Amino acid sequence: MVHLSSFLLKKYHGGHVVIRLALGGVTNRPFYRIVAAYNKRARDGKYIEQVGSYDPLPNIHNEKLVAFNYERIKYWIGCGAHTTKPVAKLLGLAGFFPLHPMTITEAERKRKAASTEVVKTESQDHVEQ
Amino acid sequence: MLRALSRCHDPVFRLLAPRSTVLVETVRGRKSRTDPKAKSKLGRIKTPPPVDPVEMVVLKERFTEYNLILRALRLEFKEQVLRKKYEDEVGSAAEERAKREAEEHRSLMAWNDAENLRLRKIREQRVQKEAEEAEMKRREAVLLRQQELENYIKEKERQIIQLQEEAKDFITLDNLDQRIEEALDNPKNYNFAIDKEGRIVKRTAFQ
Repeated sequence: MVHLSSFLLKKYHGGHVVIRLALGGVTNRPFYRIVAAYNKRARDGKYIEQVGSYDPLPNIHNEKLVAFNYERIKYWIGCGAHTTKPVAKLLGLAGFFPLHPMTITEAERKRKAASTEVVKTESQDHVEQ
Repeated sequence: MLRALSRCHDPVFRLLAPRSTVLVETVRGRKSRTDPKAKSKLGRIKTPPPVDPVEMVVLKERFTEYNLILRALRLEFKEQVLRKKYEDEVGSAAEERAKREAEEHRSLMAWNDAENLRLRKIREQRVQKEAEEAEMKRREAVLLRQQELENYIKEKERQIIQLQEEAKDFITLDNLDQRIEEALDNPKNYNFAIDKEGRIVKRTAFQ
């Protein structure tokens, strides 16, 4: 069948393109596709183009796999697409964007919490002794 | 309020809200706006999570830097996209590509026309043949019908002649008496006997 109308059919007023994660997969097994879609569309609805994927569960070698199509991401950002927070964070970790400030802050917080834990357990050991 | 903030796409800023404020705005989850508050939540004062001022300052700096870099990247990509579009339309290889595409189009159209011509010739021949065959069939049908008519007429004439022949032996009022006399004078015996081997015996005990 040949569609003679525009690609995504609906007419949007004041919408914009977003690069975001579309959830797929099954119960207790999520899987995200990194997708360029209109802002107003449903999260898992019709998108313009798939631009990568992200598997949040680690695999056998304890790695979380992420894929990006940098050429197309560059094109869409050049056409004025926004990115969502998780996509920005992933891109920061990948090196395409600068590292997201919250990634750094979360890491610092975790490190501080880990060090205070260690100090607390050491002090507890001393007290017991 | 914080959940509503997290829905927008801009980076989330944890504002330095004062400690013991009752946040009036809520996000509707399971209950509607007319449902009363639960009794266990009567004396609850919701406070936002505590914010470390030192960390906040550092975060603000990091965010400004991050946004700066992101804006620069965005403009860079936009420039790349525009440059590519310009190259495609008015670039160095654009004219040759356009010429090549026009050539291809012309050749394809010519091939298409040739195909159409060939198919038209074949179609015309076929149509002609079919017309001739139809004509032949029609003529044959006419002949057949004529033949049938003639046969019918002949058959009817034959029947008439036969009837005329038989009419000579009919019994009419004139020869009624004569025929009765004849019939009474020659009695016919239709009785016969037959056995299992097929031997017919015509001579029977008749009065």
